[in-house]
Amino acid sequence: MTAQRFFPIAVITLLLLALANLMFGAVSLSVEEVWKGLYASSENHFTIYEYRLPRIFLAILVGAGLALSGALVQGVIRNPLASPDVLGVGHGAGLAAVCYMTFFSEASTRWLPEVALAGGILAALVLWYLCGARSSAIKLAITGVALAALWASCIDFLMLTKPLEINNALLWLTGSLWGRGWAQLQALLPWFVLIPLALGLSKYLNLLDLGDDSAISLGARPQHLRLLALAIAVALTAACVSICGPIGFLGLVAPHLTRKLVGGRHQPLLPATMLTGACLLLAADLAARTLDPPIELPAGILTAIIGAPYFLWLLLRMK
Amino acid sequence: MTRPFYGLTIVLAAILLLLLGWWNLFAWSVIPIQAQDVWLSLTHFDSQSISHRIVQDLRLPRLLTAMFVGACLATAGTIMQGLTRNPLAAPSVLGINAGAALGMALVSTLPILYGALSTSLAAMIGGGVAWLLVMLLGNSWRIGGNEHGRLVLAGVAISALCAALTKAVVIMEEDQAAGVLTWLTGSLADARWQTWQHYWPFALAGLFGALLLTPSLNLLQLGEEHARNLGANLLRSKLFGSFLVLLLVGTTISAVGSIGFIGLIVPHMARLLVGQDFRIFLPVAMLLGATLVTLADTLSRAISYPMETPAGAILALIGAPFFIYLVRKRTL
Repeated sequence: MTAQRFFPIAVITLLLLALANLMFGAVSLSVEEVWKGLYASSENHFTIYEYRLPRIFLAILVGAGLALSGALVQGVIRNPLASPDVLGVGHGAGLAAVCYMTFFSEASTRWLPEVALAGGILAALVLWYLCGARSSAIKLAITGVALAALWASCIDFLMLTKPLEINNALLWLTGSLWGRGWAQLQALLPWFVLIPLALGLSKYLNLLDLGDDSAISLGARPQHLRLLALAIAVALTAACVSICGPIGFLGLVAPHLTRKLVGGRHQPLLPATMLTGACLLLAADLAARTLDPPIELPAGILTAIIGAPYFLWLLLRMK
Repeated sequence: MTRPFYGLTIVLAAILLLLLGWWNLFAWSVIPIQAQDVWLSLTHFDSQSISHRIVQDLRLPRLLTAMFVGACLATAGTIMQGLTRNPLAAPSVLGINAGAALGMALVSTLPILYGALSTSLAAMIGGGVAWLLVMLLGNSWRIGGNEHGRLVLAGVAISALCAALTKAVVIMEEDQAAGVLTWLTGSLADARWQTWQHYWPFALAGLFGALLLTPSLNLLQLGEEHARNLGANLLRSKLFGSFLVLLLVGTTISAVGSIGFIGLIVPHMARLLVGQDFRIFLPVAMLLGATLVTLADTLSRAISYPMETPAGAILALIGAPFFIYLVRKRTL
């Protein structure tokens, strides 16, 4: 499939999924009822406007953000197994947020995204320090996984020793879009000024694919470029994680899938990845809400169920 | 490493284990227990005394279970590191814990399977399927196809998959979920005489079987080609070893839940103390494992006294930095 054909198909899929998300759930509505529900007079106004609509926008933004940061990390590290969550950034952000909620339980949750962001960046720095710039693909991935295990065990420990303060954290850590509304959407939106910046990098990321020496002779500065792209990826991931909790494997699967469809050039790849990520998360959230209503599964569980086998398949094919 | 030193290590470890066990019986009890009460309750049991009854009915089965859990998990880790010749191999790293937990969650929540299998059998089957997949994906059955990093990454992905499925099952079948969640955290607080009775015969059988396996593990360390030339039946050792691991881990997990990282740390500690010979360091690993879990269980009452912290959480907190250290030390 070429890029010209990918984009219309992806956009139509996205719109259809969004419509399906508005229609199905604990209460199923017809298209007509959905349309009427957008106006305040309808009985379904609350379901549609306060509940399902912000959730769709969040799913699109978070899916796009995670997928984009996955594509950036894979482009920079040139490692097919790399993605922000395999590298422990998600868990690092989670640990920071849980620490914040535990030790400053009276502080407002307004600052949660910033705290999670700091945690994610810190986790990335620790990984960078442990591995250095020139590690093999598998060593980087294993160190990241080991670090993620460390952060996860710290999270478990805090939650088990301070059970009273931690109900909020438990809700948040399941990696779900449940209960998120317009307020969370507002908190997330400012971070997306990073997206044009990331798209602007795509020309230089292509140069990196040629190898450092060629990139330098063509006028790029690989070290600066790596740092900038990674910083954007970490910031985006941490912002998404701070709203929805850790949603696993999305940042790994979406870029891979898209690279197969539109090829490795970053100019079409980056926006296409964002569309794929948004579609995947919308689909996961739809499935999470409709598999066994009225119980909701966290969307993060579904992305892991799809993503982990995909990771294994990548591992099998890797030489 | 010379034999006398080995004897000394065994004796010291055993003494340490006994002292810690004795301490575990009375330390940080919500209802205060005196050190001499422990002794009295064993020699002159008085059914009227509350502290005697606590020691007899709660503390003693808990201590015995803790010791066996440590020994079993350490043994399972040792066997896995021997079979795969991979320093990072351990039940929790290679997905057996998560697979066993998934098996138990399925059996105890799904109406179709409910009561069809005992939970320990379900744990063994779940762990077995997970390990089979990890070994296949990590290329570890094929001769000479042993890639350390790939095996660990396969284990991590299988763990993530099983954990996600377990969570999904637990959320969808809310009614029986409370029990499943207790297993997942891995705590010794609920170990009673009944747990112990279901646990010790299998655990003991597994531990003895492991001692029988040690000569072939030694041969395997020479490399598969050499081992084959020296007359080892590789397939039989691998199958027997895998069966033992599943027996040890499956029964342990169904008794106390998923406790991680013991199987990873303890074999390395034992190897550091007494050297590479499996016949020597396996018994040391068993003792050390028992000591470590007993200590963690005592701490689990101390850390947020008077509440209990699951011992599994404490061990994970010690184990994860060690995992990072191992990853960094080995050239992968």
